[in-house]
This record gives sequence, C-alpha cells and structure tokens, in this order.
Amino acid sequence: MSEEIPIWRIKYYPKSLDQICGRYEIKEALKNFITGRNFPHLLFIGAEGIGKTTLASMFSKEFLGREFDTNFKLVYGNVPLSEEERKLARSEAYVSTSKIGSIAGRRITTPAFIQVKVKPFVQLKVLGNAPFKILVVKNFEAIGNNQQGFRRLMEKYGSNCRMILITPKISSIIDPIISRCQIFLIPRVKFENFSKLINSIADNESIEVSSDGIDVLFKISEGRIFQAIDILQLSGVTGDKIDKNILYENAQRFQNDLIRSLLLISLKGDFPKSRELARKIISSYRYTSNELFNLLLKEINKLPLSRHVRSEMINLIADADFRAISGRDSDIQVSALLSKICLFSQYL
Amino acid sequence: MIKISKKIEMPWVEKYRPRSLKDMALPTAKVNGQRVNLAEELTSFIKNFFIERKRINRENAKIKEQNKTVIEKEQKDYIHIETDKAAVLLEGPPGIGKTSIVFALANDFNMDVVETNASDTRTRKALEDRLKETSKSRGIMDFITESKEKLILIDEVDGIYGVQDRGAVPTIIELVQNTQFPIIMCSNEYKSNLQPLYNNIRRFEVHPLPKEEVLIIAKNILKKENITQLKKEDLELLIDKNNGDLRGVINDLQGISQGKMDGNIRELILSLRRDSLEEIFTLIRDLFQVSSLRGARNLTDKSDVDYNFLYKWVNENLPTFIKTNEELVNAFENLSLADEIFGRIRTNQYWGLLPYFFDLFAGGVALSRKETPEAKGFRRVVFPRYSSGSYFSLTSVQKEFVEKINKKYEISQIDFIRTLLPFLKILCTTSRKQLKNVSDWLELDAKQKKMLK
Repeated sequence: MSEEIPIWRIKYYPKSLDQICGRYEIKEALKNFITGRNFPHLLFIGAEGIGKTTLASMFSKEFLGREFDTNFKLVYGNVPLSEEERKLARSEAYVSTSKIGSIAGRRITTPAFIQVKVKPFVQLKVLGNAPFKILVVKNFEAIGNNQQGFRRLMEKYGSNCRMILITPKISSIIDPIISRCQIFLIPRVKFENFSKLINSIADNESIEVSSDGIDVLFKISEGRIFQAIDILQLSGVTGDKIDKNILYENAQRFQNDLIRSLLLISLKGDFPKSRELARKIISSYRYTSNELFNLLLKEINKLPLSRHVRSEMINLIADADFRAISGRDSDIQVSALLSKICLFSQYL
Repeated sequence: MIKISKKIEMPWVEKYRPRSLKDMALPTAKVNGQRVNLAEELTSFIKNFFIERKRINRENAKIKEQNKTVIEKEQKDYIHIETDKAAVLLEGPPGIGKTSIVFALANDFNMDVVETNASDTRTRKALEDRLKETSKSRGIMDFITESKEKLILIDEVDGIYGVQDRGAVPTIIELVQNTQFPIIMCSNEYKSNLQPLYNNIRRFEVHPLPKEEVLIIAKNILKKENITQLKKEDLELLIDKNNGDLRGVINDLQGISQGKMDGNIRELILSLRRDSLEEIFTLIRDLFQVSSLRGARNLTDKSDVDYNFLYKWVNENLPTFIKTNEELVNAFENLSLADEIFGRIRTNQYWGLLPYFFDLFAGGVALSRKETPEAKGFRRVVFPRYSSGSYFSLTSVQKEFVEKINKKYEISQIDFIRTLLPFLKILCTTSRKQLKNVSDWLELDAKQKKMLK
C-alpha cells in the first residue's frame, strides 16, 4: 500500500466477502447466490453496527464484479432529503399538461424520497453484463410511510433491480415487504472470530493486547466491530501494551456519557441547565426526539435505581415519546419530560 | 406602623398620556402629500361635523314631516352626511401617538370615546352590534345620565382582512353615512382591501415624532419619576433603537427603571430588541402576569402575533417566569398537550380543537404560576433559539468533511456525525501526530481541522 491510512476503522475495512469477520453460514449462502448468478430481494436484520451493510456491499461487489460501479447504489433511509433534493422532488411531481390522458397536469403523489433517491436508479436498464442492478437501502425502517410506495417498486422493477434492505428492527416493516424478501438474520460476531480479528490487527500494528483485554473489548463493543477497532486505536496511541484497565479507561472517554449527565442533572432538579444540555446534545448529534428518548430509556436501565423509580421514569419517557409523535414541536415534549424528571427527583 | 401594601404601578404609557392637544407634541401629518397642522384640522373636523349633523337632522325631520302627507311612491329618501365630513383616517406606524391624539381631542371637546378594535370584532354582525347602538340612536342611558357627546374610535382598521371579515368594510362605510357622532379610524399601513374606505374619507398620513421631541418627552417623564441615573447617551441610544416609536421608548424606560439601575444599562438597552418584535415581548411579559383564564384569552385574541410561533416563545421563556419545579411541570404538561393538539389539528384539519389549544398554551401556562411571585423588575424575554429538529442538515464545513471522507470510505452523514466525528475528535486531541496524519490523509483545510480540536 502506497499510503498509510491513519484511521484504523477504514484501514481494516474488509475488501472482500472472505475478509468479513465470522458469520460463515451467511457468507456461504451468499456465495451460492454468486455462483448461481441470481438471488431474490433480501432483508438483512441484525443489531446496529455489526456489519450488515458491509456484508451487503461486499456481496454486491463480488456479485457484480466489474459492473459494480455502475449497477450498485447505497441509499440511506434515515438521512432526510437535502434542500436541493426536496426542490427536485417538487418540480418532478407534476406531469406536464402536454401529455395526453387523465393524469395530465395533475400532481403525482409519489413520496419525495422514492421519487428522488430510488426511482431514477431503479428505472434505468442494467448496464453491461450484469444480470440486474443491486440497490441497498440502509435503515429501511426509517423511510416509514414510504414503504408502500417502495413495495410497488419492488414488484414493478424487480426483474431489473434487486434490493437488499437493511434494518435493525423487523417490527416496523410492513408485512407485504417482508413476504417479498428472503430474510437473513445476521448474528453478532462470535468471540473466537472476534479475537482472531483483534489479534491480527494487533500483530499488524505491533501492539500487544492481553487476553482479558480482548474479553473486555468484546463486552464493551457489544458486537460493533468498528467501535472495538476505534477503542483499540485510541488505546494504541498511548502505549504498545494494552490491558483491560487501559481499555476501560479509553472506553470511558468514548461512551456517550452526555446522556448520563443529562439524566443526572435533571435528577438533581435543575431544569434550565438540563434543558440547555438536551438542546446541545440534540443539535450536535442531530438526534430526533424519538432517538433521544430511546437513548434515555437505555441509560435508565443502566443507572442504579429502584424498581419503582425505574418504572416511573419509563412511564414518563413513554408518555413524552407518544406525544411527540403527533406533536409539532419536539423541543416542547423534551422540555416537558425534563421538567417532570426534575420534579420527580424531589421524591427520591 | 402598618406598612401599606405595595402600590400598584400604572403603565407609564397610560400615566403620561396627554390630556389635551395643547400640551401634546404633535406629530407631523400629510394629506395627499400636503403638510397640514393635525390639531387644527382635527378640531375643525369635529366642529364642522356637529354643524353639518344639525343641518342634516333638520332636513331629515322636514322630509319626515313631508313623507307623512304623501303616498309611498312620492316619498323622499333621507339625506346622508358626506362621508369625508363624518370620518377621518389616521395612518402611521405603531406607537407614535395616534390613539393619544384621539383621546386628547375628545378630552378637549368633553366627549366620551367609544373604542372599538376592528381586530377583535371581526364579523359584520359584531361590528354592527357594537357600533350602531352608539352611532345611530342615543341609548337609554344617555337620557338618564347627563348626555355627553361621543367620539367613535375604530382602532386597527387594517386588522380587517380575509374571508371572515367579508362585509366589514361596507359596514364601516354604511356606519359612517348614518353616524350621529364623529368617527376617527386608525391604521398602521396601507391595505388594498380598504380601498373603498380610502375613496370615501380623508386620510392623514401621520409621521413619527422627530428624535428631539421624543428626547424632551422622555426627559420630562424621567424627571417626574425622579430617575437620574440614566445617562444622556444611553437615553439617545434607547430612542434610536425604538425608531420613532414613542410608546416603545416609554415602555422601555419603565422596564429599565424597575430593574436594578446599576452597572450595564447600555448592555441592557442593546439587548432590547423592539422593531417588529415589540408586540411579542410585551405580550409574553403580560401573559405571565395574568391571573385568570379570561385574561390570558383576551391577550392572545387581541394580538396579531401568529400563534404558530407564539407558543414556541412561551416554551422558550417559561423558565424565566416560572421558577419552582411543580409549577414548571404543570405549565409544561399544558404546553405539551397543546402541542399535541396542535399537531392533530394540522395533520387532520380538526380546526374545532383550536380553542383547547389556545386555552392550554396561554391560559394553562399562565395559570400554573401560583407560588412564584409576580415578575418584578425587568425580565429578559428571549427569542426561541432551538431548532425543532424536523430537518436534518449539516453545516457546510461538516458537509465538505463528509464528502472528503466519502471519497475513500462510504459513510452516511448521520453515521459520520454520531460515530466517526466524536471518535476523530478524541483521537486528535489525544495526540498531535494523529491529527497531522488524519488531516494529511484527508487533505483537510484549516476550518475542517478546527472541527477536530
């Protein structure tokens, strides 16, 4: 390699299906698709950050071979449309009056997401030798109401383009889509494979990781390989020998303890401060209110609280989340929740 | 000695409202581009009106007598007063003294002012009910009490608009034709749907007072209130900020003088943003002073501030006015319910729910203040500074950063901002060498490097 990549996460990003850590059964199944030159629509389900997208893109790369660049597209379901894309969708939403038929001059109600991001790619014919195009949609559950529109595309252009849908939760996907896909449940990496990977990286970077260190790393990262590698790199900066204490220390810096401090501040009963912090978190990480509530929920399960307090808090969060769904201004719901926690703290 | 309870302080705007046109600094006015003396014009307008009314009433009485003697076909119509003799329109920016002129004028002629706000009686029927009573006939009360002449003031005529108010402008014109009392209308700006009015009555364009006049008035008030700490240049700054709005100046003076007068008055003045936001600031302050649901409703009904926007202001400023956690919870409970209702109104078009929304976000919030004492002194009302998070967007620097990374490594904007960027920040603060490596590899410029620090 001519150039040294400074970010390990990118440096050790797999370059082929074989390099992906563990998950042999799934890789086997995918390889069968490649030799058969055909596969149905796929649905990958698995926890966040364990490598579903990597699997999908590596598989597509090997399936399409040289035609990969022209026939592959990765779409993010959770990234909203930008200003320009919104404009484009609006301008394309009208059928010209010069066209004959009942729809002339009418508005077409294709959702903007599908109109702009998916349809142009799916409609175009396959280029080159490949049997069909491949579209990967990441965070598919986030496209929400557009799923029905997407189902239509799967039927209409299915022979031209196969889709690989990736999602962490199957419950928010509508049944018609599930029944049109072959489902793959992607498991976490097993420990033996994980330790193999970590050891190979350590060898390559000439650092030493103790065996209980790998244990700790496996636990902290919760199957998220990129995070494990991030922590490893961070620990590698300070010294060549890495044991579990150093790993813990670095993981501490890593963990998103803003959420925890948000909870602690509001449990102290200081409303103005906690609201300020919540706004800061939302604006710097671009969370939606729903995501923030989920994080709070996770954090509450980690905090040492009594059963009664915990259930009460979960109740409050659920109520706020429920209201935020139909409300217009999520900041009000977040503030309302924080004020309730502030008051609740008096009875602790 | 028993301490007498706190004196209730009147708003200075009311306290120092001029009683007579003579001791009032009159703004300059123009009619069709010609400069006129407002005091003379208005006085002669009132005088002429009563002479004209006498004549017309006499004529009409004659016609009535005649009509009794002839058959229906030959009956004559009653004559009407000419519209430009019955009413005038004062047009000018808010706070320059239009209403004060009317009150002073009425005081000079010993008349009562019947005030109607066009923006709170919007329908034709309501306008008629309120005005025709007084303008057409004299009420029973007038015979019992000593009859006093009346002056009708229709404030905020330009507040009439839209489908709901259809018919309001013709009603006003009809009213002007049949009136028994002089009518003065006030408006802030030219409105095309008021064109029939403009055609029929005289329109005075009232201009803001010159700065020197405002300075004299402000100094007088300060003298009467025994306030000496305010420096001259601070006062001038305050007047400049208000841009000719005398009411704004007086309100600000009162606000400042109620707070602590030491230290950074200049900073405080600079932080006062009045312009078009003046109304919303006073509205928010007033809203947290009211003690009844009706009071809160009146405030929100009267104001022209978009409620879409108003409840965000309430959200932002709640903690400034409400202090204890219990009250905060009550207030936020009401506000969040209001928000939910508003969301349903907008998605399902259930406009029938709108009254609940109003009551909850204004009344419900204002009434949650029970223990916290009423705001004394000057409280800063701030602009809603949060984004409600409905649109995801990165700053341009962040976007360029992502694009640079995407050339080498496929990552979405959201994943970048949540997982990769925090990691890079930690990594680059740990060692300078890593920062150099990363920035060299991605060919970052100075701005993007700064993001990593």
